[in-house]
Amino acid sequence: MDPTGIIYLIGVALAYAFFWRRSPGRASKALAGGSKSFTGMLPTFIAVFGLVGLFETFIPPALIERLMGSSSGALSLLVGTALGTVATGPPAGAYPIAATLLKGGAWAPAVAAFIVSWILVGFVSLPMESRVFGVKFAVLRNGISILASMVIGVLMGVVL
Amino acid sequence: MVGPSAEKPSFSKALAPYRVVALVGAVYAVAALISPERAGHAALVAAKSFLGVAPIIVAVFAALGLVQVFVDKQALARHLGDRAGLPALLTAAAAGTILVGPVFVIFPLMKTLRDHGTSWAVITTTLTAWAVKLPMLPLEAGFLGWKFAVARTVLTLMTAVAMGAIMGRLMRDSEQTKR
Repeated sequence: MDPTGIIYLIGVALAYAFFWRRSPGRASKALAGGSKSFTGMLPTFIAVFGLVGLFETFIPPALIERLMGSSSGALSLLVGTALGTVATGPPAGAYPIAATLLKGGAWAPAVAAFIVSWILVGFVSLPMESRVFGVKFAVLRNGISILASMVIGVLMGVVL
Repeated sequence: MVGPSAEKPSFSKALAPYRVVALVGAVYAVAALISPERAGHAALVAAKSFLGVAPIIVAVFAALGLVQVFVDKQALARHLGDRAGLPALLTAAAAGTILVGPVFVIFPLMKTLRDHGTSWAVITTTLTAWAVKLPMLPLEAGFLGWKFAVARTVLTLMTAVAMGAIMGRLMRDSEQTKR
């Protein structure tokens, strides 16, 4: 079992103990809110992990390597960004898929671009964003986010 | 806090997320027809990776619950409204990371800020940083390692500030004095 999860669980439990002493009502509200988001997210998790299993079994690493490997350079950045832009889902869903890509031989900057575009670019939420903030803002923000994903990917290559 | 409008119980809406699960299930069914062993192996990999990170996922959602209840969104929003320039963007980036809530709560909150004269730059930076979600960091680290997770988060926050500045220009913040 991964110790990180256990350590983090203990940390969160301590935080709850602290807030419980200050305000039991709000702490239990927090717990209720947390479990509600969790149940809301559960189908996504099931689907994402199901996909991860399929990816790791059926997609040959050679394919990932060719499309997103370091030797493909700019192409792999574009592929990563495009995948993240098309895919929608909560941020937490991006990490398992990103880990699979990385394991399959994908270039770290391309994987970073994938995560960032997954999180920042939302084609599904675009109509709502346009309604709330106006079409100009929504289109510009999503467009710049696509560019930002690639920039962050390149910078990741420099940092790592 | 989630308003009553967020609780609209709609059966089809409640089931909608499970459509994705059904889709993945269908792919598994096809895979099982082609090669039962490999489909079984895929399911095993799926279950193993899920169970491996289950403690982190539970902890992350518990932490998100705390942030959602104990961070006063309205106060945070007021704080964002009365600043300008680079300090405003840095504050927005910091505020965004501790802002937790679904799209239908955060978007209207940001819209309210905008209506009260907050610049598009601050709105953009906050929205970008909101997507970072600091409590999620251990989850990302669990999958991709701490070095990757921290580097990506820091770079995303820096980009959030830059994006705010660019959007401010493109949306002509400085020219919009009328309300």
